[in-house]
Amino acid sequence: MSRSSLPRRAIDRRAMLKGLLGGTLVGVGLPMLEAMLDSNGTAFADGDALPTRFGLWFFGNGVRLDSWTPTSTGANWQPPADGALTALVPHKEYVSVVSGLSVKTPRHPHHSGISAVCSGGPHLKVDNVRDTIVSTFKYKSVDQFAADHFQATNASPYRSLEVAVTRFRGTDEGTSFQYLSHNGSVGGETNVNPSEESPQAFYNRLFGMGTVAPLVLKARASVLDAVAGQIESLEKRLGNRDKQRLDQHFTSVRELEKRLSAPVAECTKPVAPGNFPDLGGNEQMVEKNKVMSDLMALALACRLTQSFSIMFSTCGSGVIMWPAGSKDGQHYMNHTEPAPWTKQHESVKFTMSQLAYFLERLKNTPDGAGNLLDQSSILVVTEHAEGWTHSQDDMPMLICGKGGGRLKGNVHFRGTGGNTSRALLTALRGAGLPIAQYGYEAGLATAPIGELENA
Amino acid sequence: METKLSRRRRWARGASALVVATAAAGCVGAIGGDSPGGNVLTEPPKPKAAFEPEPATIHRLTSVQVQNTWRALFGEKLTVPQASELPSDDQAYGFRSIAAAMKTISPLEVEEYEHATYAVLDQVWKEDAWRDSIVGCSPETSEDPCVRAYFERFGRLAWRRRLDTEEVDGLVAVTKEVGAYTNTTAEALKFGTAALLQSPHFLFRIEVGEPVGAEDLEHQGLLRLTGTELASRVSYLLLDAPPNTDLLDAAESGLLDDPSLVAAGVEYLLASPEARPPLVRFFRDFMNIARLDQLDKNAEMFPSFSQTLGVSMRTEMEKLFEATVFDEGGDFRSLFTTRSTYVNGELAAIYGIDGVTGPEFVSVTLPDDGRRAGLLTSPGFLALNAHKTATSPTHRGRFVRISLLCQDVPPPPMGVSTELPPSDPNQPKTLRERLEEHRLNDECKSCHQLMDPIGFGFEHFDAIGAWRELDNGLPIDVTSELDGKPFAGATELAGLIAELPEVGACITRRFYQHAVARLDRKGDGRAVNSLIESFVSTDYDFKKLVTSMVLNEGFRYVGQPKETP
Repeated sequence: MSRSSLPRRAIDRRAMLKGLLGGTLVGVGLPMLEAMLDSNGTAFADGDALPTRFGLWFFGNGVRLDSWTPTSTGANWQPPADGALTALVPHKEYVSVVSGLSVKTPRHPHHSGISAVCSGGPHLKVDNVRDTIVSTFKYKSVDQFAADHFQATNASPYRSLEVAVTRFRGTDEGTSFQYLSHNGSVGGETNVNPSEESPQAFYNRLFGMGTVAPLVLKARASVLDAVAGQIESLEKRLGNRDKQRLDQHFTSVRELEKRLSAPVAECTKPVAPGNFPDLGGNEQMVEKNKVMSDLMALALACRLTQSFSIMFSTCGSGVIMWPAGSKDGQHYMNHTEPAPWTKQHESVKFTMSQLAYFLERLKNTPDGAGNLLDQSSILVVTEHAEGWTHSQDDMPMLICGKGGGRLKGNVHFRGTGGNTSRALLTALRGAGLPIAQYGYEAGLATAPIGELENA
Repeated sequence: METKLSRRRRWARGASALVVATAAAGCVGAIGGDSPGGNVLTEPPKPKAAFEPEPATIHRLTSVQVQNTWRALFGEKLTVPQASELPSDDQAYGFRSIAAAMKTISPLEVEEYEHATYAVLDQVWKEDAWRDSIVGCSPETSEDPCVRAYFERFGRLAWRRRLDTEEVDGLVAVTKEVGAYTNTTAEALKFGTAALLQSPHFLFRIEVGEPVGAEDLEHQGLLRLTGTELASRVSYLLLDAPPNTDLLDAAESGLLDDPSLVAAGVEYLLASPEARPPLVRFFRDFMNIARLDQLDKNAEMFPSFSQTLGVSMRTEMEKLFEATVFDEGGDFRSLFTTRSTYVNGELAAIYGIDGVTGPEFVSVTLPDDGRRAGLLTSPGFLALNAHKTATSPTHRGRFVRISLLCQDVPPPPMGVSTELPPSDPNQPKTLRERLEEHRLNDECKSCHQLMDPIGFGFEHFDAIGAWRELDNGLPIDVTSELDGKPFAGATELAGLIAELPEVGACITRRFYQHAVARLDRKGDGRAVNSLIESFVSTDYDFKKLVTSMVLNEGFRYVGQPKETP
């Protein structure tokens, strides 16, 4: 949302507080109760559609296509024997596979891949001074595009939520290599929504703050209002690039101010997860994935947000996939492991088992008459087809969830070199965004993948 | 633990040093003119290249800078929120300072700053005496003139400049607004103070600049940083902390325009213990060794690997840098040649030094056996630029090429397999022999010839930085060449590197980038060249480079804003 479309007092704090103090907790942030739904359980009693969530689930370094790509196209896909997608087979009614699409924006190892599959646009090279480039996303990532739509139509307390499962072990090549959720960049400024890496911090943020006296919330909101005013008058003195940075600061301040004044969510408070320090030098990635998936599912069920992203591993990640038998950082391993590339294959297979846990968690969480996975559209992507060659053709992509009935599931669509943004467009439409095209510059796609959509 | 009082006293002494130097300024100039190498700082830069600096920008405070700023405002007894609770510092082109000049503040980060701000203020406001010492009075109502006086005085420290009337009005207004429903004016003042501490004027270091005077013929058309902007720039560069009242006073009265005065002040500050950690942090970013804290090696292959080893390695390298710069005369080149270093028990085991145990570091002199000297044979450098199980001549060479020579190496081209051919167990080869593939293949050769030949010099050191006689059971060939200069092994290579003018020029450029928080460009040529000249003429004395930096035009002037994105 651009700053200019926010009025100075975006919300009537007093009215919100009255709601809060009077104990009348309205829909925002509440788990849906049956009484709120129509008799079919497919819409709210007042006729509004149930919310569909949009998610972006990312893993780094690509796959081995021979063990990834399903053996046939069309409905009821099957993985190759012992294929990378084996763990998703029990959920395949909810999973469609997209293959055969290409990155159309100007290519660069890793950088253009992540930017294309997460934003639909080119990466923005920051400065033009060295060969190992630093980049950020030129355009906002899909989760933020979806968040714009959701916040404009039916605002949630959190515009979006971001978590990471494994640690950043990449190189200093800009935000494209470190972060997933981006807000776009006009002049090389870096504007990201950092992923929470600590389960305990994520828990504290959503569930752990305890009860705060309403007058304290009011005072904190007044302070933020004053800060927003300071930002506005400072902006006038600054150049364009700094204005962009302060615009985001302003938006961020308003986000928090709005939330302080909104009714509190009444979620069932989960148990504090604690943190997961390395054991014997190994990241506890299975445990961390489990707790992050659980917390995110709960946040979605409580309607704390409608848009989220999970970064299982970063672009070009150096994570050591030890549960898959790997002893070296993944990026290095991808570039050096000799045939038959067992560890690369096992790493992707393992990664998909972690995705399977998250999907299963959503499937087991009731939402309306169905479950959360019924009501979600989740785009699963990585920045390369195969990391060892940095290839960006035949990109491995998944679209998970039924999108509130908009998505078929269990289809393998195989393109012939079309634009990866078609998958992004399809996933966004699956989340209920009424759009006919999506993407930027050479990444613009004007046709969704109809084969994945219900008429 | 240093007290706030002693810190203030030191600053005060710094200020008096400035004043003394003012009186003597004329003499300094005259004497300087005859003193060999001593007058470079006061000489105008030679107009060899153009000086067209980039426009001003705003700099988000790094987490240590935010922490130090809170500490400076509220005193040493404050329990400062941990860095892990604050927005993270990223690195861009290696430097946290550069990333900070690119960042905004995301919704999550606003939450983190807000949470930390109240964690700070709640401590202070819980103790009436502490709070009163900050506020300076106990106002009954927000109308009390002392509320306004408080925001003027304390605001100046928090925002590192004087607040204008409207800004003070705004802070008084939010205090009044909250005071209408809080129990006490003191409580309302806490929220007024929160508006001061969550402000962009607090969280960012704002630089806008002002027009240069007509007498400044050399810089017409540019902007110069204002006195207080410069005071903050100096203070955060040297101390990662805000300017105190004395420095702000000096800045406001134009004293920072006087080079000899500034030189004296900087030298004074560099003698204080607080100046060490910020320069060590520069070195940490320059060598990219924060990554050592996450060092991961295969424990089966390297039984001496432990979870603390990487931190020990980083500590050794930083101690070596600190000692070289602050205690040993400051010649940066000796970093590459010295046989003095610091080890604890686990590092001693890697060095093969007997008699050192436990986590404490002791100073040692390495044996004169030709195997090791300086930074480039430290286990930290060798282990960081290697893989989990194997060495990497490519990574070690790449570091030298990029970080010490400031040269560029492109990434592998798209669509090229970077896999090495598998080793045949019946025909064992050294890694160097396997890497010959890079030299036979034209596609790989053009770049790898920039890296691998340098890296071959380090092949006697395994992936954890320990000496080895054999690689894969075969003898190791460490003869190679660096841009046509032959060498045999790491110490000869390090000796070559120490003497290369490119290395001194490179560290100068990297320090310039850190200090101005961006990459240097063509328009910085004159400024950077003059710094390099002064670094050379002071025999690569790093402390003097810091002083030159603060006096350098690149540190003081900025270009006009560019309005097109």
